[in-house]
Amino acid sequence: MPSPCQWVRSVLAACLDGELKPSTAKAVRRHLEGCESCRAHARLLKESWRLLDEAPPVPGCPRFTERMMARIVEEKDLSAFASRLRPHRVRRQVVASVAGLAAGLVFGFAVYTWTGLPTEPASPVEREVSRNVSFLEDADLLDEIAVIEAMDRLMSPDETGDGA
Amino acid sequence: MAKAAVAVAKSYEREGRRGAAADYDVGLMLAFQKDNELAFQELVERNHSRVIGLIYRFISDASDAEDLAQEVFLRIYRARKTYKPTAKFSTWMFRITANVSLNALRSRANRRDDVSIDQMSDFGDGPRAMPDPDSRLPDLHLHQSELQEKVREAIQALPEKQQVAVILNKYEGMSYADIARTIGCTTMAVKSLLARARDNLKDRLLLYIRTGRGRQRVS
Repeated sequence: MPSPCQWVRSVLAACLDGELKPSTAKAVRRHLEGCESCRAHARLLKESWRLLDEAPPVPGCPRFTERMMARIVEEKDLSAFASRLRPHRVRRQVVASVAGLAAGLVFGFAVYTWTGLPTEPASPVEREVSRNVSFLEDADLLDEIAVIEAMDRLMSPDETGDGA
Repeated sequence: MAKAAVAVAKSYEREGRRGAAADYDVGLMLAFQKDNELAFQELVERNHSRVIGLIYRFISDASDAEDLAQEVFLRIYRARKTYKPTAKFSTWMFRITANVSLNALRSRANRRDDVSIDQMSDFGDGPRAMPDPDSRLPDLHLHQSELQEKVREAIQALPEKQQVAVILNKYEGMSYADIARTIGCTTMAVKSLLARARDNLKDRLLLYIRTGRGRQRVS
């Protein structure tokens, strides 16, 4: 809850500007009559506001309208020029978009034919084989499979004659 | 004199339209909307002094004020097709004027920041001579131009919204309600803005109130 002085000071500017309701303004005036401190504050506000009249005077600006209308003519010329340019610009943008799209398609097709699409094995068995082959490739064992198979054949009973 | 424009503007008054449409300048703007360029010319003729005056209060440079006033009327010219007479013409025009002025002030401040950064790099970060604190005290025999400068500085030191409210209230004589419509806030907010602005101005100009030449002594 603000004190009476705080309240009066918060509405003092509006009171000096005549922007308070008559009943509120009356209450403020009544407070000022009995409060020296708020009266001094009000005087300072008034005086500092009055000092603003000392701001530099605004210089005159002869023939402003004439210059303004000349600028409007320039503005109209510019927008007429821009609207003349616009159809060409739109046409150029359409041609550039179509050319870009076509180039993208050609490039995509070339990449596709060069690399081929990655194929995913269909059945679980094929997937297993594919995984094994990948492992063997990673471990550089693929080249040795032929050797291992040859050794298997040598060791089998049919080849060695053990089973005979 | 743009007779056709005047006829349109007067017709709005004759028809007893209320509010914004009863505004003579609104009539001119509506005539201009119907491609009556003379109406625009009359709008410029009638309002340019106020627009230049308002901008000058913000930026204090006569040449820039004229350039920016042209920018304001150019914006009005470009906005003719979308203009709707929902408020007084002056409210709309002053809103554009305040925006253009504040934009100019901001870009000026940015330029100043750039310059001061450049200067720092030129001089290095070493110790600098401190300003003489006495030099900030107001001269007892303040000349008129110096006092004008102090007042200008005090206004320009206010936060943006307070500055706009003060300039519109003090120099355009606008009511709190009109200021609220111009800057897009409530009347209560304007009341609070102006209360704080007046307090700030009092603090900044306090010494000049007491020591200004031939001025009334307050205490």
